[in-house]
Amino acid sequence: MKTIVSAAALLAASLLAIPASAANLVLYTSQPNEDAQATVDGFMAANPDVKVDWVRDGTPKIMAKLQAEIEAGNPVADVLLIADTVTLERLKEAGKLLAYKSPEAASYDASLYDADGYYYSTKLITTGIVYNTSAAFKPASWKDLTKAEAKGLVTMPSPLTSGAALIHAQTLAGVDGLGWDFYKDLAANGAIAAGGNGAVLKSVASGEKAFGMVVDYMPIREKAKGAPVEFVFPTEGVSAVTEPVGILASSKNADAAKKFVDYVLSEKGQEGFLKLGYIPARNDMKLPEGFPARDTIKVLPINAAEALKNTDQDLKTFSGIYGSN
Amino acid sequence: MNGYVRPGNSQPGWLFPAVFAVVLLLSVLPLARLAIAGIAALARGGAMSVLADPALWSATYYTLITAVLGTIISLLIGCSFAFLLTLTNISGKAVAGFCFVLPMMIPPQVTALAWVQMSGPSSPLLKALHIAPPLGTPQPLYSVGGIALLYGVQHAPLVYLALRAGLMSLPRDGVEAARLSGASSLRVFLDIILPLSLPGIIAGAAISFVSCTGNFGIPAILGIPASIYTLPTLIFTKFSAFTSRTFGDVALLSAMIALISVAGLAAQDRALRGRDYRVLGLSGAAAAFDLGNWRFLALPFVWVVLFFMLAAPFFALLAGALVPAYGVPLTFKTMSFSAFYEILFRQTVTRTAFVNSISLSAGAALCLLPVTILAATALTRRRDLLGRFVSSAIEIPYSLPGIVIAVSFILVFAAPLPFLHVTVYGTIWIIFIAYLSSFFAVSLKPVVSAFHQLDPALEEAARLSGAGFFRRLFDIIVPLVAPAAGASVILVFLIACNELTISALLWSAGTQTLGVAIYNLDDSGSSDLASALSVLVVAMVVSMMLLLELLAKRLPAGVIPWRS
Repeated sequence: MKTIVSAAALLAASLLAIPASAANLVLYTSQPNEDAQATVDGFMAANPDVKVDWVRDGTPKIMAKLQAEIEAGNPVADVLLIADTVTLERLKEAGKLLAYKSPEAASYDASLYDADGYYYSTKLITTGIVYNTSAAFKPASWKDLTKAEAKGLVTMPSPLTSGAALIHAQTLAGVDGLGWDFYKDLAANGAIAAGGNGAVLKSVASGEKAFGMVVDYMPIREKAKGAPVEFVFPTEGVSAVTEPVGILASSKNADAAKKFVDYVLSEKGQEGFLKLGYIPARNDMKLPEGFPARDTIKVLPINAAEALKNTDQDLKTFSGIYGSN
Repeated sequence: MNGYVRPGNSQPGWLFPAVFAVVLLLSVLPLARLAIAGIAALARGGAMSVLADPALWSATYYTLITAVLGTIISLLIGCSFAFLLTLTNISGKAVAGFCFVLPMMIPPQVTALAWVQMSGPSSPLLKALHIAPPLGTPQPLYSVGGIALLYGVQHAPLVYLALRAGLMSLPRDGVEAARLSGASSLRVFLDIILPLSLPGIIAGAAISFVSCTGNFGIPAILGIPASIYTLPTLIFTKFSAFTSRTFGDVALLSAMIALISVAGLAAQDRALRGRDYRVLGLSGAAAAFDLGNWRFLALPFVWVVLFFMLAAPFFALLAGALVPAYGVPLTFKTMSFSAFYEILFRQTVTRTAFVNSISLSAGAALCLLPVTILAATALTRRRDLLGRFVSSAIEIPYSLPGIVIAVSFILVFAAPLPFLHVTVYGTIWIIFIAYLSSFFAVSLKPVVSAFHQLDPALEEAARLSGAGFFRRLFDIIVPLVAPAAGASVILVFLIACNELTISALLWSAGTQTLGVAIYNLDDSGSSDLASALSVLVVAMVVSMMLLLELLAKRLPAGVIPWRS
């Protein structure tokens, strides 16, 4: 009897501990958990008076969550730190973002942020090829993935799950000699598209697949830890997203949110990204370990306005080639 | 009332209406809201686009095929364990029984993760043993067969428990009479035991089928990478691509799942109707069969199955948590505790998830307890239509898949509450209320069975001596049902703590549960962190179950599901 009473008392005590969501600042991000935690830790160390709650998911899922919350009249997020500017441009046009001119913007290339201050790029994340070191050959170009030796061995993230994957598909679709035909050839070669970048890396590192399209920092970082993977910047060039940060117009903590934007753009914040293995967006920053010199990385161009307009159609085209996922 | 006075109903007039109101709020209101949303979507013509969507039909097909195959597998495993551990003189029954029901208490996505770590070219365990399949071998579990197999493993304990209850009360004299007439063991089994255990088998099959159709964790981890969507995962992905039509669409999809579940239960009802299973004679057929030399076959069978159901996946999970990076074989040199360090000391999501899951489940269990005791008091004395209606209204949310409950509560709470202008959607309270609705039946069952064992004379004596309702409640009823109430609290806690399906749709910033945290870690590619967190959750589940074992002696029979 005593045990039951004391167990009940213990449970009662824990009941009182139900948090009433008392966080100061809510961040929605598509960074992997460990990176999101490191970013938030760095910010909270620099701003001890702000407590941050964060949610991590793929960019499309984060947007869906936000959309559902807006529909229900209760958007929870204050700050977004997600894959691509196209998504933030869409939010800006819908009037969902708050304009804020950060003093840190002076150290950035003007092409990397919105002139009215609705969003700022924080880093450069390219998508290239990852291969397992025991694979039959070392791929050098995107087209190598359609070779017979790669049949059934290629995987890529789905644009429905990953923001970077969407931009990547839209970028390659616009390249002469690649285009949607390239994606059709890949599908004919048994390539699959499912999940996010993490799933692609896992699948290639573990040997379920031999080749994959993936964001740069993941394989470079895992290789340093001993995983049997290599990253290749293909000869045609790579696509890139810039993981912009933006404040929601509905934010109830706009001051804290502005501090967060300043922090991720500051030298200290950028060094944090560098340490995690990302290419910082700020001028004159070093590149992380394992990357080639900045001027040897060829970034393929993308027209953001076009991409935004065609997103729904492109998603349909992609789904048409790779099934419902 | 046909000329006789209702016996012994001395309850205060407000009791039943109060219970009725709670049930209305937790069960009738949300389900009615779902029905209305579905009908509204139909009326708007939105249904046509949903019904014309090939994704719906392929998801329905996959839901049915995996559920049917999964049910067959769980029947095969569950029945053979029930027969072996109940009717034969096999040794080590108690331990085997405890181990066998463990998978039921482990979150399905942990089971799925463990099995993925155990097989395929990615398995750190197989790599450590140098028997991993070659590069490019597909993960065999990412398939209809893989999903069905894991459904089978996850739900075999349900079949086992449903069948075992019937087997315990088999008449002994029938078996003895047959034996005296010279019938062989096989004859006895086929002609007496099997026909009489049919109700248990059918009930087990129905429970397993309904649980399979509502499962989210297993098809989410095994199905999505292979583009195999079941209805629950389809609803989840619909939410991942939110549009203004989403609420209406998911209402229709949930109705589809509810329909399949109800059809499963109706099939069970039909199968059991019109047959007479009443038996006379002494029950308790403990060890009706002497295994003899078959022991040497049965014993290894039991332990090999248990090894593959429990030990191997668990070690694979542990191995997955200990490797430093993907694709690195696990050796004593490469072993790293960094995933555990990251999960325990760096990730705030772990602490958030533990605090949320523990406080939500403890809160749900404790808040349900007083309601449960009042409901049990009111319902055990009532045999009329209204009483039956309330009883089944309490049962329905638990028997429906969690995703249906989640969608219902989203619909109820998506808009700010009228008059109060407070939004519950996006806060922890919506998960809390959904838990209250979903686990009411779990909480009620042990308490009702304790009430049935109460001698009404005690309460009557107190009433005649002038004790009021609350006096009788606190001085007589509560102390007598306390052990069952304790078990009810622990059971709700255990089941709610492992829950993923409801919270997967309802979570938001800072309200992640353990189930959601594990799923998201794996989804983002951090399977080492997901494995580490899963190992911690398994440890917690096993210790809670051992705690219930310790309480077992004080509890009425049948309260702890795996004991009898």
